[in-house]
Amino acid sequence: MRAGSPRENYLGVRGWVWAGRYDLERYLYTLHRITGLGLVLYLFMHLTVMAIVRGILGEGAYEDVIDFFEHSVFKVGEYVVFAAFIYHGLNGLRLIFQELGFLLGKPKPPIYPFRDSLRRRRPLALGMMGFVVVMAAFVLTDFAKGGP
Amino acid sequence: MRDTYLWLLQLVTGSLIIVFLAVHMVMMHLDNIVGFFGGHIDEPSFWSSMIDRATKGWWLTFYISFLALVLYHALYGLRGIVLEVTPSGRTERVVTGMIWAVGLGAFALGVYAPVHLFTR
Repeated sequence: MRAGSPRENYLGVRGWVWAGRYDLERYLYTLHRITGLGLVLYLFMHLTVMAIVRGILGEGAYEDVIDFFEHSVFKVGEYVVFAAFIYHGLNGLRLIFQELGFLLGKPKPPIYPFRDSLRRRRPLALGMMGFVVVMAAFVLTDFAKGGP
Repeated sequence: MRDTYLWLLQLVTGSLIIVFLAVHMVMMHLDNIVGFFGGHIDEPSFWSSMIDRATKGWWLTFYISFLALVLYHALYGLRGIVLEVTPSGRTERVVTGMIWAVGLGAFALGVYAPVHLFTR
């Protein structure tokens, strides 16, 4: 009998979204990836712009760029980046806790009716998402007041 | 075993970035909230404020460390996604080489401005 290849059931990017009955945590993971990719894109744009205007062009160009990004469209974009940071950071922290076994309770023998690992993980996921919403709303108040 | 250590480093850098990013964001963007709690931050995006930070060794160390952490975390994560969506395992060496090149280039780019301003 031929050994199965690990790529036989590979769904590619489509599998990020749907491959059957995905649970909440799977979609949180997909959103983690999407925010991660967005933040990588932002990181390289931020690095490039700041290196050029601060290191090469100097004060005049720096102040022109800062004024340019004061436009409300960029303020909304800045908040989206901020919200993505909050989500990616806190969901990442949840994944680290989960991987290292923190906040999941002590291991118990699997005697019926047992609490499976999903039911142990779910409160952590919901709690962390609640924290994400609170933090995002908190930061929104700063933007609404016309933060820098 | 090597991959396990690289993954562990991904977790460590992710945790540290939360701390570094919180400092960066509060300093640069959340001065209204700092003010609400009685603190005061001079307008951080002014050229004079930026130069004031750039001439302090503490901030130079902070930003270079932050840059190294962020680049490792971002590019290791990106490498994982690219390897997952790449149809062949044979491409791993090429992808890893490209990630190294991009990382070193971005580090040099990111370090240039703070070092230039610190030493001028």
